[in-house]
Amino acid sequence: MGQYVVRRLLQTLGMLLLLSILLFALVNLAPGGPLAGYGQSRHILPDRAEILKRQFGLDKPLTVQYLIWLVGNDWMRVDANGDGIIDGYGTRRGILRGDFGFSFRTRQPVLVEIRQRLWNTIYLMSVTLLVALGIAIPIGIISAARQYSLFDIVVTTFSFAGQAVPDFWLGLILILIFYGWLINPFTGEPLLPSGGMYSLESQLVVLDRIKHLILPVTTGALGWIAWYSRFMRSSMLDVIHQDYLRTARAKGANQRIVLFHHALRNALIPLVTLFALDLPYIFGGSVFIETIFAWPGMGRLYYQAATQRDYPLLIAILIIGAGLMILSNLLADLLYAYLDPRIRYS
Amino acid sequence: MSRKTLLRGLIMVCLLGILVFTLTSCQTAEKTEQTQSPQPVITDTKAPSPSSITILIAEDPPSFNAMISDTGYDALVMELAMLGLTDIDPQGNIIPELAAELPSQENGGVILDEENGTMSVTWKMRNDVHWADGKPVTADDVIFTWNAIKNPDTGSWIPGIESIDSVDKVDDYSFTVQYNTIYPGYLMQFGGEQLVIWPAHYCNADQGFAAWDCGRKPLSDGPYILEDWEAGDHMTFVRNPTYYQAPKPNIDQVIVRTVPDASVRKTMIIKGDADVIMWTTEPIVHDLENEANVKISFSPQNRWVMRLFFNTAAKGTVDSAATPHPILSDVRVRQAIRLAIDVDTISKNIWFGYSKPVWTEFFRYPYACDIPRTLYDPQAATKLLEEAGWTDQNGDGVRECHGCKSAEEGYPMEMELITYSEYGEPLVLTQQLIGEMLGKVGMKLTLTVVEGSVLWADSASGGIEQTGNFDIDLYDDGYGGVDPTDFIWSYYSADAATPDYGWNVGRWMNEDFNSLLNEAYTLDEAHRKEVFCQMAKILDQEVPMLLMFSTINAEAYSARLEGVQSTVNDLVTWNVADWKIK
Amino acid sequence: MCSASMNQTPIPTPQEALRSSPVALLPSNPGRAAMIWRRFRKHPGAIAGLLVLCLLILAVVLVDFSPYDGNASNMNELLLPPSWQHPMGTDALGRDLLTRVLLGGRVSLTVGLIVVVISLGIGVSVGALAGFSSGRVDGFLMRITDMFLSLPSFMVLILISAILREVEAPFFEKNNILTIGLVIGLLGWMTFARLVRAVFLILREMDYITASRCLGASGLTIVTSHILPNAIGPIIVESTLELGYAIIEESGLSFLGFGIQPPTPSWGNLLSSAQDHFIAYPWLAIFPGLMIFLTIISVNYIGDGLRDAFDPYKVLTKVGNV
Repeated sequence: MGQYVVRRLLQTLGMLLLLSILLFALVNLAPGGPLAGYGQSRHILPDRAEILKRQFGLDKPLTVQYLIWLVGNDWMRVDANGDGIIDGYGTRRGILRGDFGFSFRTRQPVLVEIRQRLWNTIYLMSVTLLVALGIAIPIGIISAARQYSLFDIVVTTFSFAGQAVPDFWLGLILILIFYGWLINPFTGEPLLPSGGMYSLESQLVVLDRIKHLILPVTTGALGWIAWYSRFMRSSMLDVIHQDYLRTARAKGANQRIVLFHHALRNALIPLVTLFALDLPYIFGGSVFIETIFAWPGMGRLYYQAATQRDYPLLIAILIIGAGLMILSNLLADLLYAYLDPRIRYS
Repeated sequence: MSRKTLLRGLIMVCLLGILVFTLTSCQTAEKTEQTQSPQPVITDTKAPSPSSITILIAEDPPSFNAMISDTGYDALVMELAMLGLTDIDPQGNIIPELAAELPSQENGGVILDEENGTMSVTWKMRNDVHWADGKPVTADDVIFTWNAIKNPDTGSWIPGIESIDSVDKVDDYSFTVQYNTIYPGYLMQFGGEQLVIWPAHYCNADQGFAAWDCGRKPLSDGPYILEDWEAGDHMTFVRNPTYYQAPKPNIDQVIVRTVPDASVRKTMIIKGDADVIMWTTEPIVHDLENEANVKISFSPQNRWVMRLFFNTAAKGTVDSAATPHPILSDVRVRQAIRLAIDVDTISKNIWFGYSKPVWTEFFRYPYACDIPRTLYDPQAATKLLEEAGWTDQNGDGVRECHGCKSAEEGYPMEMELITYSEYGEPLVLTQQLIGEMLGKVGMKLTLTVVEGSVLWADSASGGIEQTGNFDIDLYDDGYGGVDPTDFIWSYYSADAATPDYGWNVGRWMNEDFNSLLNEAYTLDEAHRKEVFCQMAKILDQEVPMLLMFSTINAEAYSARLEGVQSTVNDLVTWNVADWKIK
Repeated sequence: MCSASMNQTPIPTPQEALRSSPVALLPSNPGRAAMIWRRFRKHPGAIAGLLVLCLLILAVVLVDFSPYDGNASNMNELLLPPSWQHPMGTDALGRDLLTRVLLGGRVSLTVGLIVVVISLGIGVSVGALAGFSSGRVDGFLMRITDMFLSLPSFMVLILISAILREVEAPFFEKNNILTIGLVIGLLGWMTFARLVRAVFLILREMDYITASRCLGASGLTIVTSHILPNAIGPIIVESTLELGYAIIEESGLSFLGFGIQPPTPSWGNLLSSAQDHFIAYPWLAIFPGLMIFLTIISVNYIGDGLRDAFDPYKVLTKVGNV
């Protein structure tokens, strides 16, 4: 097991490195590279571009730029004010030390921008994922236990439908219905809020938060419920028909115990690893849901940064997102290897 | 692996979920930014709950410094918290804010040196304005702001920056601006829509004007203080008890909320969840006009004129003399395009009738010039094109050059019409209609939509306008205030055609126009008007830019609010201190 | 967007697969196609899906016969609700929405096809190479695949699209559809690679392959006559799912303004134009969304039916590929 872990860790490091090179090269493909978008305002000082280039170290060869991006330049002497003369030490610490640069739009450090929104996305996506799993797993189990029953057929149809609905469309329709048309019979106000995380004047904090969560969570969870319930059902079915369960039943074990203790445990194994693969979405969020429901999160931040060509922010989010994905993969592989001894020795 | 381990794992996940949920309910202000200024405390428990209004915007402001980012959202919140020397009202009248009075030649504030062509302006400031931390607003703050602006590394361009030699302190509440030329726009030098005065004792000069922290955590001298900013979601402002126009502002609390989706914003104001929608667009105004609890404030003047910019240099080049555009360098083609576009149809069907036809830059008080309007006449357009040597001889519906003066024989009349995406659907539809209309007179246009950040970037970044990488460019622009001189210079002067130096991206060069423009830098109003109208005639004849119609400048606001007045010269919060709840 | 795990289901190990009955893994024989079709027919959902998809493709191909021009404006018929003359109503420029939706379908389906072709091409090559080679090459290719899999694909699509729109390359502008298809395909081949590799790994251990090798068959013969025919099943199944994935990604991109640009209609950008008015004129948003929904659901049902038809005992697609 230990050897396997070490091997996988080394491979992970290699992938992260390759990934960083790939993303860095991608961003520098754009003309003007990282400076594109710096002159947002329609008022630009002449000769500014040259100065900026030198300040950002863009006149150096790409490999040097990559190195500086990775480990910073405060250990080397650079041209700090862009006048062509090397006059001091750099100020960047590199991404390995947490310095992802400054956003073009707000001039704030990129990590600060991310930190301000990250929690909101984690909050929304965790709730969405938990709700999705909480509904999908029981549905999947019941569906498998009562295969071909009416319940099963309805669930299967629903899961196909649920995966086919585009979430940007669904979000708009839900707002139309629950905010535009339906009225709360007690207060005369719209049934559900149109967006945002919480009302600023509300007294009942938890209830208010729940109200604000309902529509975005429904929109986001639908696809996942459809997918996970189907997967759960199929996984359970595979396990139910397996030989060792037949043995357990033959030995006289109670039907329900057989189902829930043996089958479920084994059916959940692949689910757990799939879930680990979905974890990065908790950090990335969904652009559509956050835009339509005015949720200040990472997805919307990314989209805004893309329209405004705020490259430092874009790259930081991608690196963090991809890095998390790679780490989740590692986690999933290790988990799977731990849970299923057959894998370890392959 | 045992059953216990799996169950334990599942329980942990559930617990985590509950934890996440409760934590978020408890923490509300942990991640928001706090200001350092004193918070007003309402200690009287019997006092009525504070009056509060909500303003909706489409995007989170990047900072409070509207000079740097110029998105409009920054100017909106800047007007809530900070003051400039002067401001400008919806009619175009300049009003003093931090200034005690407006300097002029009559009161000796403005001294002209005719011989050398220079002037100096001495400002007297009010002595009763304080920052929210108690310190007075003085000339030191002005000097500080000026030094930060003109810093070559961390400063920024402002209108007039090339014309100023120095800004010198006279005493605590007055200073003198020494110009190296006659600069007619001197009254708005340190005020207006984008520029305010920043506190010397609070902002960090080392960080620089372009990036200082006080741009995100401002110290207020205006009617409101920033209490809370949850990035991407909302900003909460509370009244500034030390505001110099006490007892104003009338409203205790202003919340600025970011809601990106336009139809959601509209629904919110109908339901009463919001009080003002900043920059309400034509389709929304059209939908809201019949709502009982929503009123619309239209700006008395028009500013944003939708226009087609013709590139007189070949696409991808920046020198119209060396490499003229094969199609658009011929003035007859440009005039034909003007004849071929039915502005009224576009205006009625896409802009819901809210737009007004505009055909000259000089259509506003006090420089409205009498230029006759060229009406829609596709037959005349066809005739003009044929005269200019563009005919369709191969029957494919697209003209080619046969005897034209700017291109080689057989060159097809195909061009690209570009516009920007941020405006929204009406602009995209307008682009499509224009493409169709020009198609009817034999021009084939490919339509492209790009982001503004790509269109307006500098030439090193591949900015489409600055690198001349376009044929025809469709967008809206116009000048704020009463003085068009800077605007005209940046769009039509020969100097402004140099990449990154100005915005004459059509690279139009006209000597007569340039000399007339130089004459406009005078304080003699009668002469200015004369000069402007002569320039208007040249523009009408040469059509370097085709002006079509003005777009709306309006704000929708809830009927319980009074005092909201939309303006083209500033953002709607320009007079927020005067707003009242009925 | 789609769940990450939807594209990364764990592939069974050779041992797992071998433990089950290899009935489906017979060497190719002529009666096989008929057998597969017979099994497919038993799925009502799949048949319905096939019908809907065929109808859609037919409509999309025949849209040129529509009496309306999908691009010409008509000022007299702005924003009309659905009627006999205009079954889906008209849009903000008076254009018949049904025509535009079908034209959009043409674009979306074309992009989908391009994506499938590209990701098949890359994925099958990578997977076959990895599966057929040993150790080092296999490991290296799999790490590359994993790396691509770890990229949050939708976000990277936005980034690439943003960069492409700044680069001054006439190819990208004139061939918007091809470019979008290429870009989405470049990020969608990984599932094919893993699938093909898994099939190769399973099959190459089979006795009849070993027998062929002993009899002197070359590597190429083995691949083409024995392995590929058996791999075709899962590949076809995955292709249909890939089509669904491509259409959703393209719609999402176009909705955000990073995909197909107006005035060329695509289901995504039709939805995006509808946003301003959709409460007042809901048909503008309902129909394009409905088309996406119908296409994806049909494609999913077809995929499901194909999966059962090719592999009723779920040998090659066990544990995960539902």
